[in-house]
Amino acid sequence: MNWLSNWSPSWQWFHRLGSPRWFYQTTGRWLPWLSLLALALLGTGLVWGLGFAPQDAKQGNSFRIIYIHVPAAFLAQSGYFIMAIAGAIGLIWKMKMSFMVMKAAAPIGAVLTFVALFTGAVWGKPTWGAYWVWDARITSMLILLFLYAGVMALQYAYHSVDAASKASAILALVGTVNIPIINKSVDWWYTLHQPATIKLTSAPSMHMDMFMPLLVMIIGFYLFYAVALILHTRNEILRRERKTSWVRELVNAKAGL
Amino acid sequence: MYFENVAALINMDGHGVYVWASVAVTLAVMLWLVIAPLISQRRLLKEVSRDIQRQQDRELAAQKVSNQEESH
Repeated sequence: MNWLSNWSPSWQWFHRLGSPRWFYQTTGRWLPWLSLLALALLGTGLVWGLGFAPQDAKQGNSFRIIYIHVPAAFLAQSGYFIMAIAGAIGLIWKMKMSFMVMKAAAPIGAVLTFVALFTGAVWGKPTWGAYWVWDARITSMLILLFLYAGVMALQYAYHSVDAASKASAILALVGTVNIPIINKSVDWWYTLHQPATIKLTSAPSMHMDMFMPLLVMIIGFYLFYAVALILHTRNEILRRERKTSWVRELVNAKAGL
Repeated sequence: MYFENVAALINMDGHGVYVWASVAVTLAVMLWLVIAPLISQRRLLKEVSRDIQRQQDRELAAQKVSNQEESH
């Protein structure tokens, strides 16, 4: 793979990105701004969606669950891609930093998948009359949760960090098959779950007064995801690099020595 | 606001239980997602700091021993 690193000087950023120290220091500068922005957007979107958006003609106010359900489901799937791509980069370029990102992405994705499933179940009760149905969309989301759990479990199934990372990355990559299935499930099978409200290729099938707060929430969730991923990755960096001189310097600098 | 008053906002025509339960659980687990790594980071940094202290103590002790040996 040497030819790749000698490709051009622009590959320098890639190498720097591969340095845990650089990642730790750079993201440390981003964190306050990202967190502030995420908090502002989530706060605005939530107040707007729950208190100001009009209610749905058919579903009434239970429809307001959409403002957390859809963003969480979005990130559960995007997060899976991020995890799988990080795993692939780790496998191809043997980049340890990338494996750390993959490991950090797993619990975050699992929690967001849980949120999507939980809010979906609670939404299902007043809308479908049942908390749970074995519907294609819901079942494929449950499989997503198990895939995340599998990646997390594999991290602890090996003594060697390297073997654990590789095994997790392979599972993450194989599991990406599930993502298009989740996406298309509402079209391929007859399901209770309503079809997508938002598509990249066409205008949203909801009124602008309802759509705008949803958009704010989705962007807010993306930023929140970035903050959570950075925090979990930094933690993993500290755990693995605790014996290195730069971590010691960091601790000394904090203690004012 | 879309609702006439706070009571209506909480009740949401009977759907309030579902909406607010979803919001509460979501916010709780999201908060945990950011707080958990912060707690663990604090603990890790403390451990590193203790490691450094321990090493310094050891070096100091070793120095004392060698000083004593020289004076004998």
